Amino acid sequence: MSSDLTIVLLSLRVAAVAMLIALPIGFGLSWLLVRKQLRGRFLIEAVVSLPLALPPVVIGYGLLILLGSRGPFDGLAFTTFAASLASAIVALPLIVRTFVVALEGVDPRLELAARSLGAGPWRVLMTVTIPLAYRGLLAGVLIGSVRALSEFGATIVVAGNIPGRTQTVPLGIFTRIQAGDDQAAVRLVVVSIALAVATLIVHDLLLRRGGLSGRRHRAGFGA
Amino acid sequence: MASDALNSPDSPGTGLDTTGVLRFSFTRTQGEFSLEVAGDFGPGITALFGPSGSGKTTLLNCLAGLFKPDDGEIVLNGTDLYRGSPKTFVPPEKRRIGLVFQDGALFPHMSVSGNIMYGRARTPEPDRRVDVDHVVELLGLRPLMDRSPGSLSGGERQRVAIARALAMSPRLLLLDEPMASLDARLRGVVLSYLRRVHADLGIPMVYVSHSISEVLALAEDALVLSGGRVVASGRPSRVLLDPAVGGMVRDDPVENLLDGRVIEPGGMDSSGRVKVGAIEIITPPIDRPVDAPVIVALGAEEIILATEKPSGLSARNVIPGSITDLDPVGDGVYATVDIGVPVLVALTQGAVDALSLEQGQDAYLVFKTSSIKLLDAAPLG
Repeated sequence: MSSDLTIVLLSLRVAAVAMLIALPIGFGLSWLLVRKQLRGRFLIEAVVSLPLALPPVVIGYGLLILLGSRGPFDGLAFTTFAASLASAIVALPLIVRTFVVALEGVDPRLELAARSLGAGPWRVLMTVTIPLAYRGLLAGVLIGSVRALSEFGATIVVAGNIPGRTQTVPLGIFTRIQAGDDQAAVRLVVVSIALAVATLIVHDLLLRRGGLSGRRHRAGFGA
Repeated sequence: MASDALNSPDSPGTGLDTTGVLRFSFTRTQGEFSLEVAGDFGPGITALFGPSGSGKTTLLNCLAGLFKPDDGEIVLNGTDLYRGSPKTFVPPEKRRIGLVFQDGALFPHMSVSGNIMYGRARTPEPDRRVDVDHVVELLGLRPLMDRSPGSLSGGERQRVAIARALAMSPRLLLLDEPMASLDARLRGVVLSYLRRVHADLGIPMVYVSHSISEVLALAEDALVLSGGRVVASGRPSRVLLDPAVGGMVRDDPVENLLDGRVIEPGGMDSSGRVKVGAIEIITPPIDRPVDAPVIVALGAEEIILATEKPSGLSARNVIPGSITDLDPVGDGVYATVDIGVPVLVALTQGAVDALSLEQGQDAYLVFKTSSIKLLDAAPLG
């Protein structure tokens, strides 16, 4: 059995890598959904939201087919990376949904004004879009992280429950309960609750300060 | 001068073109709406006119590079900004065309000075012709520099937006209904600021407006859009007073808006006096101190034109000038009379015939004190 610390650190590492995967993809997708009149908008939304509607076990099985010995990415199943990938996929819909609301709160005319003032697209993103949407974006990061930290179903299918490699906090709790070691399980449960409560408090503070989407900043522009 | 030739939207450029600062001829279709325009903006102030939905904003956005035309050309100072073939598209950040949005579109997360310096910081050193301190002074923004845009009044926001666009030394300034959200008092203020900016900095401007009086006070040229097409262009007094055009825009009586300075405010039972250029106008009592800048608003319909100096009149203002233009519009005629500044007088064709008025002739303007309204102007410096 892994030590509490090993499990918690691994859990944080898995979640961090999951965020590194999910955040850029999530931001890109949200930006496309909000700023571009895409023909396939509905399709993108449906595909991105699917993990929200499916049992995580199904996601895990799908990943197992892709990453398993007969899949195109053979050798990735049952690795720490597989655990991160599973967490990233289940966190993605929550991130995209929050980011979309955040970006919708930024008046596109401010971005156009910045372009006309000599800022290229990248600079507009860094100096106008992100600063104006940052509360909502931060909320998306937190919600995504919480989801990644609590991921169980997809992870156990595609990454297994390997101590020190893929055994995150939820899997650790599951293992200890099955082994009848209630005391050890409760210690991880407490860690789990502490992490979740801390994140939700931060989230709540951000909401109270200025609104999820930074809507406070949205001036009432006419047509 | 705007050309209304739309027959060859993609004809090659004429090479050296010294008359126009900006020449364009392009098409753009979005959904049901199609814009098909051609024109030529000079170095002065050009007014862009038209009912809502006529394509004014789309035109400005295409000029600024925020929208891409489908085909055609946009040429600024001899440089292609857009060309359908061979494909050329200069992105907006490389065009240095200032754009002032209806309500300012100020960055809410930056201070007034942060807003003003945003474009400035991205202007290459050799292109920084405009002195920001001068603009800040000119627009009276010095006391506002540390404020946040949310705490500004409509007129202040508009002035910051103008300063922000000017600070990057634009090659052309586009103003999209900068007065739409302002009340009458502030209109006079922003109007006099714009005049001063143009006089001092000489940056060509395109100005979208719904008010004929504003345009007459500001612009040397006008372009009228309707349904995505250019329907008229030329001198504002000729183009805009045409009832066919005037009917499309706000139905306000045409007023002369003259910059002046209080000589004597007057009081309970005495009139005020205002200096406009070299002449003096007797006005109703003014609630502003001596030397305060004001705008004298005088309806074109309120003025009587006389070919000889009249006497024995109750009207207190009798001002000599000479007729520079006679523009027949609808069933009337608008005479432009130079009294140091041009003043527009509405006449009937019958009156023009009876007096046999012609260009270059001397004439007197006669109007009552009570027909004058006084508007706030921008304080100097």
